[in-house]
Amino acid sequence: MKEFAVSDEHELESRLIGTGVERLALLGKHADVLMQGYSRDEVPLEALSDSALRRLLAARIVWRPDDQGGVKLAPRVRELIAEMLADETRRQVNADVGETLELVRTLVQSYREAQSQGEYWRQEQQLLRLRQAVDDLNGRFADAIDSLWQRLNSDFGFVSRLTDKIRENERAQKQIVRLLDGLQLIDFDELIELVGGDGTLRKLLISQLQRQISQHYTSLREVQSRLTELMARFRQQQSRSRLISGMAAFLREHPNFVPGNYARRSDVPDLINQAVPLIAAAAPALDHEPDIRVLTDLVHQLPTPLHKPQTVAAARPAEAEEQSLVAARQQALKQDVESFYLTVIDHPDPPGISALAYLQESDMEWGEEIWLFQVIAEYQGLPRNEQKAFELHQLESRASRFNDLRLIHDVTLQLANSA
Amino acid sequence: MIEHGPLLERLLAGEFVCAVSDERAFRRLEDDEVREQIDTYLRPLNRRLATNAEGSVYFLAWRQLNDEAREQLSRQLGEVLHSLMPMLEWLQLMQEALGHDALVAPGDVLKPAELSARCEDNQSLREQLERLAGDSFFGSQSEQLDAQMKQVFKRLREHGYLLQPHADRQVYLVTGKIDYLVDLVRLIRDEENLPVDDESPQTQESLL
Repeated sequence: MKEFAVSDEHELESRLIGTGVERLALLGKHADVLMQGYSRDEVPLEALSDSALRRLLAARIVWRPDDQGGVKLAPRVRELIAEMLADETRRQVNADVGETLELVRTLVQSYREAQSQGEYWRQEQQLLRLRQAVDDLNGRFADAIDSLWQRLNSDFGFVSRLTDKIRENERAQKQIVRLLDGLQLIDFDELIELVGGDGTLRKLLISQLQRQISQHYTSLREVQSRLTELMARFRQQQSRSRLISGMAAFLREHPNFVPGNYARRSDVPDLINQAVPLIAAAAPALDHEPDIRVLTDLVHQLPTPLHKPQTVAAARPAEAEEQSLVAARQQALKQDVESFYLTVIDHPDPPGISALAYLQESDMEWGEEIWLFQVIAEYQGLPRNEQKAFELHQLESRASRFNDLRLIHDVTLQLANSA
Repeated sequence: MIEHGPLLERLLAGEFVCAVSDERAFRRLEDDEVREQIDTYLRPLNRRLATNAEGSVYFLAWRQLNDEAREQLSRQLGEVLHSLMPMLEWLQLMQEALGHDALVAPGDVLKPAELSARCEDNQSLREQLERLAGDSFFGSQSEQLDAQMKQVFKRLREHGYLLQPHADRQVYLVTGKIDYLVDLVRLIRDEENLPVDDESPQTQESLL
């Protein structure tokens, strides 16, 4: 009798496996159509033969909610696909702890019965189903927590609008509360009583489950606090955006709006108290003995200019930046002065040539003051070694007895080595 | 105090220091002890370290508000108010051009070329930019969209709202000074009791 029951159960088992393989294959065979049903409301029937549809309905992969309506994916299949795709828009969080606990209680009772009757095979089967029930429970929590982290880490990237993100965040928080409520249902005192002295059950239902549940609990608390933080950030972003658009709209409506002068109040708001910039300037100082050496070193370290000394044609003082006409006159003046210098080189005899005399003898029309200024400027603009080749004598006098201002009446230029 | 020298100099020069503009300096400023040291140093200069409500930017405030300081603050407030409308419009333009429903925030990366391209394709954005760039705060004389965008970004960089990490690359980072501006808007709203609402309608949702 017992033998018969065992072989009966074996037969049932192999029939289940056979049907399962057949029906799982349906998922693959009709993957296209099923995925269309996943992304739309209904499963498109055009591509399905009548027999294929019948098989899908029999396997409860699809169902017909009402006689008139179309065919839809079964909720479990939709969940399976969402889970496989980690599709956070459709993924569900459902830990169903109450039902699992009920199942565990039943299985433990059958297990004990089988044990007491010495039905080892049945005992093994019950233990297997018990392990699966615990694994399922554990897996559902792990999946739910994974889904929550995914959503959190992507900043709810699967929805684009802030208001949607806020709603999704609220939904996730409610899920956490449900999951935590579910964990609360697991009463280890009850389980300890249930397993009694059985070592295998004890290991499975007490030590293993307890460790896993406490891990889930920690994760859920963590994800909860992160979600709350993220929610605060979403709300802050939303509030900033509203504030700015509201204020802009207000100012557009009231272009002459002027707020009070908060700086004149007895209690100035902290936010507008912003001190005037202060530049911490410093200059080299020579009043500190050790610094002098440092500064001297620094001066020695100054790089020598890489560019060549400026040529006479580019002398600074005559190079006033003015309009082109003025610049052209300036250039003409410079050229005339250069001719004067060349004349001096051609006539090296002392006492040199008076600049004013040269001007008067020529037919040039420069003013005396401008002419003298340019001759002096040219001399000062010469590179030092070239300057040494000339001697410039200034004929000058004091402005008055009481004024030490020197007035230059004329300058004489001669070659230095001819003196 | 020596190690805070460069930071002090920047603060004294009127800079806003945030996690974007100088992460290391900002982290140091988050330390109570460092802030106290700096405050002690600033005391004879009649200045103290100040921050906004979220503590996301640091700047220097007057310690004692004498007449001179009040005078300067009034002038400064006037300047800020002058820039308020163009700044708000810029924030809205960025939000729209980027297609975001949140304002630009510290650390966001902005590329003028990309933004120009988006304005190019959209008449309304194009007009908004034109109006904005021509405002005396931004002061663009150009009729070219690219040049207008460039000028706007240049001015924002000068005012410390943006940071350009590489001088030769047109990529900008939004600084914490944006937070300061938003806080200032909120202050004006509160002080003047303006009918500007920043609460989300979630209270209604929860009532339902």
